[in-house]
Amino acid sequence: MRGATRVNLSKGKGDRLFGVVVVLGALAYANAALNLQVGFLTDPVGSKTFPLLVAGVCLICGLVMVLKPDPDPKFPSGATWGLMAVAVLTLVAYAYMLKPLGFLLPTTVAAAILSYLIEPRAKFAALAGIGLSIGLFVLFRFVLGLGLVGLPRGL
Amino acid sequence: MDILSNLALGFSIALSPWTLMLAVIGCFIGTIVGALPGLGPSNGVALLIPITFSMGLDATAALVLLTSVYYGAMYGGRISSILLNIPGDEPAMMTTLDGYPMARAGRAGDALVISGVASFVGALFATIALALVAPMLARVAYLFGPAEYFALYLLAFSTLGGIASKNQAKAALASAIGLGIAMIGLDNSSGFPRFTGGNLHLADGVDFLVAIVGLFAVSEVFVFIESHGKGSAIGVKLDRVTIPWRDIWVTRWTMLRSSVLGFIAGVLPGAGASLGSFLTYMMEKSIAGPKGGFGTGVVKGVAAPEAGNNSAAGGALVPMLTLGVPGSGTTAVLLAVLMTLNITPGPTLFANRPDVVWGLIASLLIANFVLLLMNVPLVKIFVKVLSVPANLLLPGVMMVSFVGIYSLTGSYFDLLLMVAFGVMGWLFRKLDIPTVPVILGILLGNAMENNLRQAMTLSNGEWQYLFSSGISITLWSAAVLGFVAPLFLRRIIKRPATPMEAMGEHEGTPPPKQRTD
Amino acid sequence: MTHTLRAATLAAALLVVGAASAAECIAPANPGGGWDFTCRQIGKIMYDIGEVDQPVQVTNMAGAGGGLAFQTVVNERTDDEDLMVAASVATVTRLAQNAYGGASADQVRFVGAIGADPGVIVVAADSPYQTLTDLLDAMKEDPSSIAFAGGSAAGGFDHLKVLQLAQAHGIEDLRSIKYIGVDGGADAITQTVGGFTQGMTGDMSEIVGFIESGEVRPLAVLSEDRVEGFDIPTAREQGVDVIGVNWRGLYVPKDISDERFQEWADKLTAVAESDEWKAAMAANGLAPFTRVADDFQAFVDESIASQAELSREIGVIQ
Repeated sequence: MRGATRVNLSKGKGDRLFGVVVVLGALAYANAALNLQVGFLTDPVGSKTFPLLVAGVCLICGLVMVLKPDPDPKFPSGATWGLMAVAVLTLVAYAYMLKPLGFLLPTTVAAAILSYLIEPRAKFAALAGIGLSIGLFVLFRFVLGLGLVGLPRGL
Repeated sequence: MDILSNLALGFSIALSPWTLMLAVIGCFIGTIVGALPGLGPSNGVALLIPITFSMGLDATAALVLLTSVYYGAMYGGRISSILLNIPGDEPAMMTTLDGYPMARAGRAGDALVISGVASFVGALFATIALALVAPMLARVAYLFGPAEYFALYLLAFSTLGGIASKNQAKAALASAIGLGIAMIGLDNSSGFPRFTGGNLHLADGVDFLVAIVGLFAVSEVFVFIESHGKGSAIGVKLDRVTIPWRDIWVTRWTMLRSSVLGFIAGVLPGAGASLGSFLTYMMEKSIAGPKGGFGTGVVKGVAAPEAGNNSAAGGALVPMLTLGVPGSGTTAVLLAVLMTLNITPGPTLFANRPDVVWGLIASLLIANFVLLLMNVPLVKIFVKVLSVPANLLLPGVMMVSFVGIYSLTGSYFDLLLMVAFGVMGWLFRKLDIPTVPVILGILLGNAMENNLRQAMTLSNGEWQYLFSSGISITLWSAAVLGFVAPLFLRRIIKRPATPMEAMGEHEGTPPPKQRTD
Repeated sequence: MTHTLRAATLAAALLVVGAASAAECIAPANPGGGWDFTCRQIGKIMYDIGEVDQPVQVTNMAGAGGGLAFQTVVNERTDDEDLMVAASVATVTRLAQNAYGGASADQVRFVGAIGADPGVIVVAADSPYQTLTDLLDAMKEDPSSIAFAGGSAAGGFDHLKVLQLAQAHGIEDLRSIKYIGVDGGADAITQTVGGFTQGMTGDMSEIVGFIESGEVRPLAVLSEDRVEGFDIPTAREQGVDVIGVNWRGLYVPKDISDERFQEWADKLTAVAESDEWKAAMAANGLAPFTRVADDFQAFVDESIASQAELSREIGVIQ
């Protein structure tokens, strides 16, 4: 049994790794549940039972994934991981910038970067960024009547 | 005759120029969204919810708009199935089997028209059945106490995990993760925060709209970055569209049979439209026998799944409206719509808000006719949409997601959360973990826990109370069976092979990029 | 028309610009609920009858059951003379139960209430209990034999109403009275009609439709007088001296001048007496309930004290 598991270790790495993460997460969650502050108005079930049940299900499923992984999907190559990281960073920055810098500027930049990441055509990406930011602004602000701020205050 | 007077009320609401216009706009957007590979009904509706609320539409108007989008996307999904061999959404998967071969044989126009008509028949049947069945089922809800609701939620999760997925453990995990996320926030009973890590932004819990938009829409962008926008070019040309009357006549019984079966599949909690199209295709295939030539591009193979999935989409509204338990990913999103509008689905919905229910049913009927008109003579317009390049479309989707959530909650924290859900959605697809149960878990988690706690309060803590009525015993048995049975059935009934590997992928993911190393 | 109007208000709220001197009303919840209604109706009527010279700007600040708005007022805008905040009995219950993170009622000034949704107790039409006393007697005999369903969470106002009644009827063991907090009044009625709970506690506006359909029997209304148009006896008539109404009102920041406070009270009184407000109340199932300024502050203090005591007794707070 153990031997068989070891032989297959290279197969289904993704599932195994994620399974381990799930198991650890479930344990952490259960620990947090056990330490919950409990109300004085108690019902027979209480605040902890349901989260503990949920953690239990996660734990079992995580273990199943570790022990019986599916074949691995095609994971992206190194460079693609990089692109995805850039995309996440762009979006995080966009989330922070949307309020202080208004809609138009951050949207142009973020949309252009995303477009470039999907297909590296610089000119198209720049045009897509500008077009999307202006087009969507007009759509949201004037057609749909949402309260978007176009430019940073003070401009 | 009650139904007729109710329908009259519905039409008096839905036929106002304002709502009619919303229905037309919704159908149009919906068809586009459905047709675009990578955007299905769930993403489409999810994307539009925040925008709709920011516009301040009232309950009926918002519902009309969003359900039109929903039905529209169900129609639109077939377009890319037929022309690109990429299902525009998951339920349209079965349509690729005969639709694409038809298109390659130069009959793309015929395939589009027949599938459009089949969609119409299925959806029309379902809407009428919904109007007849739902009020009757609404009475049933008086039989549902906390213990029964708890069992019902369990059934929804188990059938979703059992029937609709390939790996039980992963489906159960997805449900549990959703339920776990739902626990974040103030505990309804004690008033103390749970799992917030002291973060004030989390005190009110994770907004399910943030999760929905993140998992369904934002994750698409990562999928496309990974695939470098492959799968957005038109594979087959569409020349002339004529109406193949003879083919429509030939498929008349197929459409009707599929509509009935699809509706029943849709009513089952947790099953939804994908099951509807799968079952109807298999049924027609076995009726036709080996001589039927299913899989080689026959008209019945296009008509059956389209009638089936549109009918199932209507059927899925029944448990959603009467019991508050969605039958599919998209109805889960629609449930989110209702909850945001402060409308509690359930038996009292029919009594208290006839305007909402019957306005909705009437607008679905109207949407159907609008969609038939749009999708048969005007289908060429939507085909054009398929040529929008991914590197314009996806950034657009992303920006709409941001604006929608931002104008709804005004919080950068929710935007970050949405991005996190997007990453999670991408990872889950990679690992073949379904995302719909996550949404269902977030939506139903608090209700499920509350019902458990209420049941125990009523019974003074005796667990047997959970199995004390005929209904709850039936539901528990069905839940266990629904989860376990597919483990065995899967070995007996093999799903038909698809021309591409996208079978198990969700919501029309483009094919994974071929590695060159 | 209304769409553009609502979109515009929302836009204004999002832009956080607004004209400098316009009055602002914070609804501590998302659009659509009771607090939102209070702000929009009172704000609109104040402008329509000329009590304020610019439209009142409504801001939705949802979070922590009104706690976010309360904290914002106390910490950031405690001397803002142009600010009012929608409040209801839920605000008081949460203050009484210390649910606003240590905030207390004396950090703001309660300016007035101008309408109320009276509490009600109903049973299923086929219930053996004909009067409120029948029901309370059964509870006295065995408190755990009667379970109630209500639209607020355990420890919330719907729960407290039952406990107040029980207390007034001489029932000692309040903790063993069963209460389940379901998703709104309609749900609570479904549970009661279905026989899963024996009684429903809620607001008048939640049960009107069900009385008409004949599925429930209202046993008592918890207001001072009977509600016009309904043949429901008050609890007082039946010898149980309990008033439980879900009032709709406003509070303002603490550090504004006494003159300004009185001005707000007068404006609110003017709204209460307007025909527009009477129509709005009728359309939304509210009964008249006007208390302003010091009179109202005293009422709030008293409610907080009694609710805190009750909450302590059942163990919601220590």
